Amino acid sequence: MSDNILVTTLDEALKWGTGKSLWPFTFGLACCAIEMMSAMGSDYDWARFGSDVFRDSPRHSDLMIVSGTVTKKMAPRIRRLYDQMAFPKFVISMGACASAGGPYVRGYSVVDGVDQVVPVDVYVFGCPPRPEALIQALKMLQDRIVAGKVKH
Amino acid sequence: MEDKIIEVNFGPQHPSTHGVLRIKVKLDGEIIVEAQPIIGYLHRNAEKLAEMGAYPKGMVYIDRLDYVAALNMELGHVLSIENLMDVQVPERALWIRILMVELNRIASHLIWLGTHGLDMGMLTPFFYCFRERERILRIFDEITGSRLLYNYFAIGGVYSDVTPKSIEMIKEWTEDFVDKLEEIQAILGKSYIYVSRTRGVGKLSPEDVLSYGVTGPMQRASGIKRDLRKDSPYLFYEKINFEIPTRTEGDVYARFLVRVEEMRQSARIVKQVLEKLPQGDFYNKKYSKPMLVRLKATGESYVPTESPKGEFGIYLIGDGSSIPYRVRIRSPSFANLSSIPTMLKGYKIADLTAAVSSADPVFGEVDR
Amino acid sequence: MIQIESESSTKNGTRIVYVSKDNVLPFLKEKKEEGFDTLLMVSGVDYKDHLEVIYHLLSSTNNSRLIVKAKTDDEVESVTSLWKGANWHERETWDLVGIKFKNHPNLTRILLAEGWVGHPLRKNYPMEKKQFVNLAEDGEDRVSFENTEGY
Repeated sequence: MSDNILVTTLDEALKWGTGKSLWPFTFGLACCAIEMMSAMGSDYDWARFGSDVFRDSPRHSDLMIVSGTVTKKMAPRIRRLYDQMAFPKFVISMGACASAGGPYVRGYSVVDGVDQVVPVDVYVFGCPPRPEALIQALKMLQDRIVAGKVKH
Repeated sequence: MEDKIIEVNFGPQHPSTHGVLRIKVKLDGEIIVEAQPIIGYLHRNAEKLAEMGAYPKGMVYIDRLDYVAALNMELGHVLSIENLMDVQVPERALWIRILMVELNRIASHLIWLGTHGLDMGMLTPFFYCFRERERILRIFDEITGSRLLYNYFAIGGVYSDVTPKSIEMIKEWTEDFVDKLEEIQAILGKSYIYVSRTRGVGKLSPEDVLSYGVTGPMQRASGIKRDLRKDSPYLFYEKINFEIPTRTEGDVYARFLVRVEEMRQSARIVKQVLEKLPQGDFYNKKYSKPMLVRLKATGESYVPTESPKGEFGIYLIGDGSSIPYRVRIRSPSFANLSSIPTMLKGYKIADLTAAVSSADPVFGEVDR
Repeated sequence: MIQIESESSTKNGTRIVYVSKDNVLPFLKEKKEEGFDTLLMVSGVDYKDHLEVIYHLLSSTNNSRLIVKAKTDDEVESVTSLWKGANWHERETWDLVGIKFKNHPNLTRILLAEGWVGHPLRKNYPMEKKQFVNLAEDGEDRVSFENTEGY
């Protein structure tokens, strides 16, 4: 009997639950969105890590993956979508464009980094990152949430 | 009850906009009275940036236009530059280009098929299509070293040779791809729900097609038999046997059939290229890689190519320096998407996702 | 017949025809009746002392191409009455190059946010002067030069 009972605090249980059931937001911006789709597709299948339910509404999801170039026209809309998400909420900035403007940083209509718009928890580099890199970012985020290192 | 027009806003974030499209729809009941697409949410100033660097440097931005068919974009760019500078390309490189471009056309159509199924409420085709697409991407990974954006075509050839291992991979792939495609087509084409949601929806007449400048599979689904690979052959397309699938209905279902048949034809082309691939250099030794950025050009050039979405080409104006004076991208998705007001008018709001996704818009290319 | 000012060709042999800017609409109408049924794109070039508007035409029946150019200061007649597809192309040319099209049904910005200052593909566009976009109360875009006002 004692093998099947685990004593913990409510706080720990909540952190564990949040980390292991992240619901990502279907939010494709540009090229990286295709790799994000690959990550959820057949070969990479990131449902293995407990975050398979892609939600179409910001109100149902708690993980925003900014997958692609953030333009100046889109940035206020991203902020609005982020504001509509319920707490606790997390952001992965996927790819060079979302993290720092990427190859478009010299242009006139691109925001150099989504961290000027929403707070970012994990950055993934690459142009575009491979699906493995995105899965690693997800694992990192989960570990940090379970360890209680993500503060909002 | 009095007649009342309701305005509904669709996007820019919506699971079936294939990116960041926004449409303002005016509804009378559930009938669409007027649809006004609003674009520009992914305007990444590709033309301006390409005008700020040397000719080969523009490739970075051209690559990221239609990011699901990056090699087709590169082909348009590289052919236009080579035409402008009178660069000779070895035969083997030209055959490799056909091989890569056709494989990428299939990958692009597979993404379309998967997400189109998703828009029509079917999840299974998505997984089937991505399984097949990953096999093509593994071939690309082997040849170019990259999965999605390649920067593989260089002025005067290609950056790396096709290895024997990759030839084996392609051969293995050609053996059963057509059977797998049959399977995917059956999921959608034999589904009563899919067919009744797409047949007779989003119709475009041949007159509208010409008036809007719509090209590619959408044009062929409306009964206009045009394919630049046949009409003005570039590379070695005149030496290859393939057919141009056309339909006359002009609706979403016809576009689905045309695209699936195009994949079959592309697989046929790949098989023929493997037989004909000659030995030799894969790039012109006169153009060593470091000197590419110093190449100068004058004059104008526009070489039209058939990308998975339609006629793609880059209009270059050179002023005698190593930096192009003007780079203008003819993007097929932009013209195809501009036909949306006509495609939606008079249909029900539930047909909107079917019609929009049948245009296969890729926003990197629409907004540039 | 409408007077052609001069002629040249691209590297792969497509004919380029120059007409005066007042003759653009009648000339294109004539060409459309001759069989050039598709307008592939409208674009503009800034040559520092003048602007040039460029039309790419294609005949889908006999597969011939024609490029029509006209020098302009900033205004030219719209061709939306001939091809519906010209609508978006002309809006884009207005947005990025800054050529106005007379009698266009809805000549507003298409790619950049409404209210943007300047036309980026002009050679004298100040790239270092950043503009910032935010949402106004009514849901439309608002552009300003202050980085505290937007993103």
